[in-house]
Amino acid sequence: MRTRLLAVASLASMLLAGTAYAEPVSLTLWHMEQPPHRVQRMQELLDEFNKAHPGVQVKQEPQSWGEVYAKAPAAFAAGNGPDMLFTIPDFTTLIKGIDALVPVDDLAKDLEAKHGFVPATIAPYQYDGHTWAIPAYNMAISMWYRNSALKAAGIEVPKTWSEWKAAAEKLSADGKYGIGLPANKQLYTDQTVYSFMVNSGAADIYNEDGSIAFDKPQTVEAYQTYADLQKLSPPDSTSWTWGEAEACFASASCGTILQFSVINTYETQAEADPADLGVAPVPHADNQSDSATISYSNAIMLTTKDEAKQAGAKVFLAWLLEPQNYGRFLTMEPGLFLPVTNDGAKAESFWSDPIVTKYKSQVETMVANSQTGKLFGFTTGKVFPSIGAISGQNVIAETLQKIVVDGQSAADAVKAGQARMSEIAAK
Amino acid sequence: MTNPRLALLFVAPALLFLIAVLGWPLVQAVILSFQNVGVIGTEGEWIGFDNYAAVLGGSNFWRALGRSLLWVVANAIVQTAVALGVALILHQKFPGVRVARTWIILTWIVPTVVVVIIWRWLLSTSGGMVNPLLIQAGIIQRPIGFFATRESAMTTLVLINSWRWFPFVALMMLAGLTRIPSDLYEAARIDGATAWKRFTRITWPLLQPTLMMLGVVGTLLSFNVFDVIWLLTAGGPSQATQTLPVLIYETAFKGYRLSEAATVSVLTSLLLMGFALLATRAMTASEEAR
Repeated sequence: MRTRLLAVASLASMLLAGTAYAEPVSLTLWHMEQPPHRVQRMQELLDEFNKAHPGVQVKQEPQSWGEVYAKAPAAFAAGNGPDMLFTIPDFTTLIKGIDALVPVDDLAKDLEAKHGFVPATIAPYQYDGHTWAIPAYNMAISMWYRNSALKAAGIEVPKTWSEWKAAAEKLSADGKYGIGLPANKQLYTDQTVYSFMVNSGAADIYNEDGSIAFDKPQTVEAYQTYADLQKLSPPDSTSWTWGEAEACFASASCGTILQFSVINTYETQAEADPADLGVAPVPHADNQSDSATISYSNAIMLTTKDEAKQAGAKVFLAWLLEPQNYGRFLTMEPGLFLPVTNDGAKAESFWSDPIVTKYKSQVETMVANSQTGKLFGFTTGKVFPSIGAISGQNVIAETLQKIVVDGQSAADAVKAGQARMSEIAAK
Repeated sequence: MTNPRLALLFVAPALLFLIAVLGWPLVQAVILSFQNVGVIGTEGEWIGFDNYAAVLGGSNFWRALGRSLLWVVANAIVQTAVALGVALILHQKFPGVRVARTWIILTWIVPTVVVVIIWRWLLSTSGGMVNPLLIQAGIIQRPIGFFATRESAMTTLVLINSWRWFPFVALMMLAGLTRIPSDLYEAARIDGATAWKRFTRITWPLLQPTLMMLGVVGTLLSFNVFDVIWLLTAGGPSQATQTLPVLIYETAFKGYRLSEAATVSVLTSLLLMGFALLATRAMTASEEAR
């Protein structure tokens, strides 16, 4: 460890001094944080890094999640790929599959020793004997509500599914909907349905040998409950993405929703009253004792075979996770991006952000929820390539639509979902 | 221009450009359809007609083809009916007709993404305007989800797409109407023909060449519509609006089966080329008969 740290330190000092290379190492970073304020914050951080590291110059090229699954492989095939690329777990399997990925084992170990990763954030990137990406930020689904609405209806914050259903029924009055659950064939629905699955003991969709373990009583129970609650949602929720759910909550049309965060929308388009905004863990099945949730740690992959560039990228990633820099990175979207490191979770640069300060108790709850996060296909310690296609084709959401739209029973729909996943895995 | 070589020289750049941007990708798609490439940018092996057997032997292709045909026919009916009515109105002389003829194309020139945002908002049950209006008018009792069921999703998509495209069709029809000699109408009036008779005996028959041309172009354009469908329903709910272009996209970029998607593309291209060929022959025969 000591030797490795020394090596990184000496390399960093060479790059800092700009003596190792006649020309600075130029790195291209592709990320999918497109909103202008995120791009601006990223540029501020890059300007600061580039100024402090004349030997390494990083430039950003924002992309969109909608296009990058096709664009990145094409770019790598044409030799125009980036040197660093933001990722989520299933996207990593895709890039690994086309041999464009470089393991980051040593750097991950060093950063783990220095900062301590939240285990749930790095686990989805550790398989086949390597670490394939450095976690950057975490997002976890929580249940959002208004304290005043619950108080007016005379109900406590629901902790179990039956309590949640009772609360949603009470909140469904005067043209309002007690709950807002999506049923679109889309990633948001994958995420919310899986939030139910992890709370009924159906977190694993693969067996150890890679066969599909989707069809089981706990999964059926999760789907049945979801479909029952979805009936209390607005009728257009079969075409919802994240934005519509947030809009429904912001307009107080929906009493409770599952979302990564509503802080930004609530602050800019609703009451902006932190005392009234409630957030809690996703309720669990009545026969379970604790709540769990889905979490998505976004990470950064190294996608250059050039060793000098790899070294430069590692210097950048190490710099980014330093607590004094990391908090400002996370607050490019305050109240949404959560820390992946233990010291990042305490960083002054994070907690001093005005929005984070204003909604401190909500952010603390979100951080706590994120510790119990899981992600479908990345729960057994083994990762199978078919998860990319299963996720890409939204089979979890497709299964829900068989119940909500086609009127199938939960058992039949889950059975069909199992067959569909098995078919994809076999290809 | 009587020198064929000189003529060829003039059209050569355009021909070469077409070959480069259309012919070459088409050849690549055909090659790809005989391989087993998964993710874009990866290598594949030659597998002969396996993809064609799988696509034609499965149900996804045929179901998507059925939805595409339904989509094309429904759009054709709605757009033709609305556009014909609008074209007939705009063919009249009334104050402001010139302004109306210009502004009618507004919905057609609005970018697709804006159209989608406008309609998503209008049809939303959280703050949208359509549901409250329908409730106030007594047409519905409580808010409905326009994309919630198989039938309503396809119907809503057809209406939105038709709303977007009918101005283009109306302008084409208006151009056709202006080519009908006005003395025919004068003579019919003198003979005592009613407005309905003037329409059925003069307007409708003489508008046929325009309608046939629009039928061919409109079918090809409608068949290939992807953006509106993808942005509004992404082929859902439960594949109810998954037309062939949506199936191709999902197979290639969601299912990572590029060669299978190329196979569906090739089959779709053959279908459309066959249709265009037959339609062109029919139009030629109709012209000759006239």
